[in-house]
Amino acid sequence: MRKKGLTILTVLLALALVIAGCGGKSDNSSSSSGSNANTSSSEGNSGSGNSGGSSGDSGGEVVEITLNGWGASPEEEQLLTETLEEFMKKYPNIKVKYEVISEQYMDVIKTRLIGGQAGDVFYLDSSEAEALFDQNVLEPLNGYITDEFDIADFEEPLLNAFKGADGNYYGFPKDMSTLVLFYNKKHFEEAGLSEPPKTWDELREYAKILTKDGRYGLGVAPELARQMFMIKAFGGEVVDAEGKAVFDSPEALQGLQLVIDQHLIDKTSVQPTEVGAGWGGEMFGQEKVSMVIEGNWAIPYLDNNFPDLEYGTAEVPTVNGKKGTMAFTVAYVMNKQSKHKQEAWKLIEFLTGKEGMKIWTSKGFALPTRKSVAAELGYDKDEYRAAIVAGSAYATPWQVGKYGPLIINNFNNQFVSAFLGEQSLEDAMKKAVETANKEIEAMQ
Amino acid sequence: MSRRKLREMAAGYAFLAPTILVIGIFTLAPIVYALFLSFHKVQLLGGISYRFINFNNYIRMIDDERVWIALSNTFEYAIIVVPLQTALAILLAAVLNSKLRGRNTFRALYFLPTVTSSAVLTLIFMWIFKTDGLLNDLLGFFGIPPFNWLGDPNVALKAIMLMNIWSTAPYYMVIYLAALQDIPESLYEAAEIDGARTLRKFWSITLPLLKPVTFFVVTMGIIGTFQLFDQAYIFSNGSGGPNNSTLTVVLLIYGYAFKLLDMGYASALAVVLAAIIMLITVIQRRIFGEEKLN
Repeated sequence: MRKKGLTILTVLLALALVIAGCGGKSDNSSSSSGSNANTSSSEGNSGSGNSGGSSGDSGGEVVEITLNGWGASPEEEQLLTETLEEFMKKYPNIKVKYEVISEQYMDVIKTRLIGGQAGDVFYLDSSEAEALFDQNVLEPLNGYITDEFDIADFEEPLLNAFKGADGNYYGFPKDMSTLVLFYNKKHFEEAGLSEPPKTWDELREYAKILTKDGRYGLGVAPELARQMFMIKAFGGEVVDAEGKAVFDSPEALQGLQLVIDQHLIDKTSVQPTEVGAGWGGEMFGQEKVSMVIEGNWAIPYLDNNFPDLEYGTAEVPTVNGKKGTMAFTVAYVMNKQSKHKQEAWKLIEFLTGKEGMKIWTSKGFALPTRKSVAAELGYDKDEYRAAIVAGSAYATPWQVGKYGPLIINNFNNQFVSAFLGEQSLEDAMKKAVETANKEIEAMQ
Repeated sequence: MSRRKLREMAAGYAFLAPTILVIGIFTLAPIVYALFLSFHKVQLLGGISYRFINFNNYIRMIDDERVWIALSNTFEYAIIVVPLQTALAILLAAVLNSKLRGRNTFRALYFLPTVTSSAVLTLIFMWIFKTDGLLNDLLGFFGIPPFNWLGDPNVALKAIMLMNIWSTAPYYMVIYLAALQDIPESLYEAAEIDGARTLRKFWSITLPLLKPVTFFVVTMGIIGTFQLFDQAYIFSNGSGGPNNSTLTVVLLIYGYAFKLLDMGYASALAVVLAAIIMLITVIQRRIFGEEKLN
């Protein structure tokens, strides 16, 4: 009898353990669905296109929506918090929960989209945009746009970066930066140069003069994100209409060859790792190079870390007689699975609208994508930022088709090797194009 | 079967139930699922769907240049790292097993790198490996020209090797230390009477008696090196660059699974990696003979 009792006891114990384990899980899910039920009254509103009212539609109940973004400097996060608080003041019945994904943002957000856990609104970089349009995970926003929202006010290249092939807008750009030439004024003065180079030939001449005492003329980032405009300078393209790689054309190589030659023949340019730096801004700040092509993000960095550095910015020198630069932009997009689409749109409308954008870009960490806001905040006349704003009119948006990650990976891998002189540029690019296209085919 | 036996069996399984459940859910089910996925084309974003495509994922590997690069990198890495870390581990263990003053302090010191998180170690080492970092200064002291450890494809993998040998050898050292203390002192005494010197004792007594442990250490070492991921990931920021030089098989699997969301192909790669590791272990057993592990 005693033995039997023991057996039953152990079985019960084991069962209890299992149930306790499962119980914990189901508890969690029920509590989260509870919070959804709380707010589901507003669900019925989603999808209808006419908003325009100043306050939310659901009567009195507070709706919580989640915003996903990547981490930034504490000052920027502070500014975003302020912007969101302003939004919540205007719409008291919408509560925004800001959730930071600090590492490998796209990998995480894609995984969350699959699992149905992504935020209602989230950041999307232009380079990743086209890959998501086809996947039916983003809410098309055309039905929500009002006249008041004034989409003509956006810089057109930036706006079009988030327009799908079906003509739908899937997101609106929240801020932007283009690349400009940063130059060290002290080094220029010492070398007897009075102003920044205007053409790429001048830049190479200047770099020869500036390279001395273990210092280099130009800092280069040998990656597609920074070199794409060199491909376009002589009429080359990175990808064709179907998204396949074509950056080994003679036109594309002609532009890229300039970058390679400066490094290998002139020996007047370096990449960050060659001088023990992490990125362009760092080696420029440490005065290891006299010129570097970077974006708006370098300005607060230099001001904070190298306050004594005397530098100026200028538009990127013309290549082949044409102006060119890269534009980096990020949009707010809406999750198609969102349960609170109306509220999510309100948030996007506010953040990319004139009012929200003015707060968000007021400190200059990020630059406005709306012409009216840029003019109102005076960035088009700012000492450092005027060149960046000027660039947005002719910049190439950082976007390489729907197979973006594949193209970027293959280009970067091979371009670095050509940059280091391990193989000729032509061989490297031929190999990269071949591998990329083979991988694209294999994915079909 | 008698009632008693039945009852005993029930009790036994009741005790095992938690373990069976945990292993079943977190180990067996994923293995079966990975096998299932490896024969399918999986669509994840915007509606999950599976399509049976036979052996296509496996056939695709033959033509995938990056698979071969990853495999050759991984082999190169294992061939250099495993012997070196094993030799270093034996050496350290032998030294720390002798009657050295303050040997406990040394044991603790040597073991520290193993306890530290590999992510932190990698970040610290990236500082050491910088062009104007500690390692290049040290090399410069001996008149060796500096290397671009992080940016030059020819040495990037070597940098990771260096770091890994340094950080994993102490772990195996502890295993060897334990084994060394199991060797009876009488064997050494007998050898001494026969006139054997220190080196001779090491070659003829210590090493042969450590053979089963060495088998274990080498096997674990190979499995560990074939699964190299975190260091390569942090080093290259997930890309396996510069010029694919730090691309390892697991990094490739990660890229296909989470960057390109091609779960089917990633699973097929994982299955192949598991098969390779198993094959190597079997070959190793042959080489080391059929001795039983203690």
